[in-house]
Amino acid sequence: MYKALVCCRAGMGSSMLLKIKADQVIKENNFPIQTEHGNLDSLVGFSGDLVITMEDLADELKNQVPYALGIRNIVDKAEMKEKIEAFLKSKE
Amino acid sequence: MLKDLTNEKLIRLGIEAKDWEDAIRKAAQPLLDEHKIKQSYIDDMIAGIKEVGPYIVLAKHIALPHARPEAGALESAIGVATLKEPVVFGNEANDPVKYLFCLSAKDDMEHLQALAQLAELFEDQAFFELLDRTDDPQEIIAYISK
Repeated sequence: MYKALVCCRAGMGSSMLLKIKADQVIKENNFPIQTEHGNLDSLVGFSGDLVITMEDLADELKNQVPYALGIRNIVDKAEMKEKIEAFLKSKE
Repeated sequence: MLKDLTNEKLIRLGIEAKDWEDAIRKAAQPLLDEHKIKQSYIDDMIAGIKEVGPYIVLAKHIALPHARPEAGALESAIGVATLKEPVVFGNEANDPVKYLFCLSAKDDMEHLQALAQLAELFEDQAFFELLDRTDDPQEIIAYISK
């Protein structure tokens, strides 16, 4: 089981919506991923496997976390699925 | 629920805005007037975008302006605003933005259900058709209270 942090700057708005959507896609596809959510401060001491965030933030985080997954459109489940599959593939 | 966090006073339809910053300030104004947020909260919404980019643009034509609770959220609330003319936020995938849902998040749990409902609405074409068509906030409230 992989551990994902879903985060945004505030940890209240986009990250919550993103977590709701990510959990739907993870459940529908039985992806071995567990999500928690937080703000950028949660990244300090983060020990999980990937960070899911909005694309603008993902670019900033790329060098700080093991894997940064950036979503462009949160209602686009196909995009989310594709990007999570790419993450899982990178772990094979 | 969403209907508990918004009301007709927090809805502004057909706002005229000259740029993204103006759009956020005008969309957030009713939340300020209704004492849901402080001025500093609006300033932090804008500062956040200047700092890290237009990450609050979450889907095609949809933005969710919000800030850190400690920036001045007084009460959890969601404002609904539509722009007469869409504006560019600098988010290539989803520009231009026409619909703004200003979020004041006071408490983690209180607004979670409302956000889940909002996530559903983002996929509801009929909701956006209504936003385009009506100038009556009551109609929006009736729709989300269904």
